[in-house]
Amino acid sequence: MASSQAPSSRSGEITSPGNRVEQISDSDFEEELNGTAMLDNAEYLSRITPPLRDMLETGTSQVQDETLEAILPFLEGNPNDFDLNSQGIPKLQRKKHVAFLERALGYYPPQFAAMDAARPWLLYWTLQGLTALGEDVSQYQERVADNFSAAQHPMGGYGGGHGQLPHLAATYAAVLSLVIVGGTEAYDSINRKSMWQYLGQMKQLDGGFTMSPGGEEDIRGAFCAVVILSLLNLPLDLPPDSPARAHGLSSFMDNLGDWVSRCQTFEGGISAAPGNEAHGAYAFCGLGCLSVMGPPQETLNKYLDMPLLIHWLSSRQCSPEGGYNGRTNKLVDGCYSHWVGSCWALVEAAAGKKGLWNRNALGRYILSAAQFKKGGLLDKPGKRPDAYHTCYNLAGLSAVQRIYIFDEGRQRGVGNGDLVAPFHWKEDGLYDGDKVWDNDDVVDRVHPVFVVPWGKAEDCRLYFERKECL
Amino acid sequence: MPRFYHDDPAWSDVEPIAQDDGGPNPLAAIAYTDEYSEAMGYLRAVMANNEYSERVLSLTEHIITMNPAHYTVWLYRARALEQTDTSLADEIAWLNPTALMHLKNYQIWHHRQTIIDRLGSPDGEADFIATMLGQDSKNYHVWSYRQWLVKRFGIFDDKELAWTESMIEEDVRNNSAWNHRWFLVVGGRGGQGVSEDIVKREIEYAQTAIRKAPQNESPWNYLRGIIRHAKLPTSTVKSFILAFADLEKPDEVYSSHALDLLADIYIEENKKDKAMKVLDLLANKYDPIRAHYWNYRKGLLEETGAVG
Repeated sequence: MASSQAPSSRSGEITSPGNRVEQISDSDFEEELNGTAMLDNAEYLSRITPPLRDMLETGTSQVQDETLEAILPFLEGNPNDFDLNSQGIPKLQRKKHVAFLERALGYYPPQFAAMDAARPWLLYWTLQGLTALGEDVSQYQERVADNFSAAQHPMGGYGGGHGQLPHLAATYAAVLSLVIVGGTEAYDSINRKSMWQYLGQMKQLDGGFTMSPGGEEDIRGAFCAVVILSLLNLPLDLPPDSPARAHGLSSFMDNLGDWVSRCQTFEGGISAAPGNEAHGAYAFCGLGCLSVMGPPQETLNKYLDMPLLIHWLSSRQCSPEGGYNGRTNKLVDGCYSHWVGSCWALVEAAAGKKGLWNRNALGRYILSAAQFKKGGLLDKPGKRPDAYHTCYNLAGLSAVQRIYIFDEGRQRGVGNGDLVAPFHWKEDGLYDGDKVWDNDDVVDRVHPVFVVPWGKAEDCRLYFERKECL
Repeated sequence: MPRFYHDDPAWSDVEPIAQDDGGPNPLAAIAYTDEYSEAMGYLRAVMANNEYSERVLSLTEHIITMNPAHYTVWLYRARALEQTDTSLADEIAWLNPTALMHLKNYQIWHHRQTIIDRLGSPDGEADFIATMLGQDSKNYHVWSYRQWLVKRFGIFDDKELAWTESMIEEDVRNNSAWNHRWFLVVGGRGGQGVSEDIVKREIEYAQTAIRKAPQNESPWNYLRGIIRHAKLPTSTVKSFILAFADLEKPDEVYSSHALDLLADIYIEENKKDKAMKVLDLLANKYDPIRAHYWNYRKGLLEETGAVG
């Protein structure tokens, strides 16, 4: 059998099993691992890098090697010349990221026409990112309301822009953006009755939701739909003209948990639709959907094989990079800091246990490798920053730095209506183990299910709980 | 050459609907070219009239060449194809180069699915997919489309399995190909049982792949999946696993995934102390980034009070 020798490269030096085993004995390793925050970077990397590595070269291993080569300098040193925190890790470049996101709200040149259908997302990512950095975005209330009034479709829901067909992804991004800026004008701009009817058109007999009329059915649809139903306090009864009603369904919830369950794959992760490959972003959608439907300790345990899911989620953390990939044998990408990293709060609530995951390694990746020199966050070094990666790296950083727990009490007095489970979350302070970040590097609280600033989901829900009718 | 409609007699009856980015001071507004902006104005107008015609097809084609990521245009085109007497084969012929130019595009694949569904034949699709995967071997949309195709036309045959094997042969770490194999053998068959012979074949297939690269997560996940699906004990593959990871030889471990399964075997066999030692090896030596996870597993084991 081939023994696992590493090639002679920078990554080879730290992946060679011989070096590792000589350097440290087993007995003192655990102690040192717990104190990794105190190690210098090269020392840390030599200890966290897995000692086993296969010789066989394939397309996958080639791009993995290239990727590690590109990332290692950022984990070892400080090629961006950022100011370092007390742990020798780049500080969160708050001002630069704010400036980057503010630019993202400005005008785009013609070559950005491809974003025409994704403007709701641009607004959501940017506004969410700004609030995670501690910025007040209430100044944008009117402009956000204006924007989405133009994109709201007469049949209900939102399109990417004026005159575009409604789409659940655009609708989700629109509702979240309006929730983030808050205020009567933003809330009242939403036509809840036509929204309810539109969602009724998306509901499928098998329990899932399509993204658009005649469009694809996938787990984004299930997640987006329940988030909207919960935030806007919409009735769970299907509207009278919902095609699913003709097939004997009466509630938006009918067959939904079972449909999510069918998306869990043999690997343990969750796929876009039954039969497809397990994927980090779809995992968050699936867990998020179940966490809106009820308390995670009930719904996750009921509909998912949790030990298998936890095994798969854990395996998404790339080593030594520390960030997550989205699928088995794929590359680390900063967006999964959220898509995978934010699954942990939901999973730990379901498991009734804490401390299942390596927060520091992810924090290191985000701060050291995912911050762009001129502002904004990115997939990995060598890529360009964008609003998407900025938003989701920051949401992931919030998951790393803060403890979110599911609590008996309801936040802000949200009532007894339907889909109130996501209003049970509370923040139980900052992670207080050894850590690679300082308090200055801590981002604001992000709601673990809705991915909006703390308190904003409750404001919106309460506003609509006070409404007599749709 | 940019194409405009305002001086085209074929469009003289249509009054375009101007873009409204939302309010006097729109956020994240895009400075569209005149050509794009005008074409979208005409699209909004024909959509408002529910017009489905030859000229609408040509308009949507024009917009797609400028912005293939525009789901509205694709959905409207799909409806127009349904309402007009257009050759679906021609549509596929047009789609092929378009898809190759825009590998990551979401919409093209759903559009293709609706067309092929209506055509009622998968002829030529396998070859086209192979071409796409030649460019991007793990493309999620392409693999998902392939799964739809297999299901829609019942192509759970030896040829499909052989093709999947060739993809795994090309890159044994291509997890999308492993997932497709699972779909063919187990997942896509709607809960049908898998025969003993096939279970045996699949275990051997995964084991052969593992021998090529023992640290490759994909075949290990596949092996674990098959064993679980067949409701076999993990110890079915104990001797295979011991060749890669043996507690007697803790410095000669060839795969952390083998250790992972070895822990499962000891838990099954109620040998708690040995399972703990295996989990320690993972946490402290062979998979340190997941130390929290392995320690969590140890914690669960301590709670069960199994006999050591």
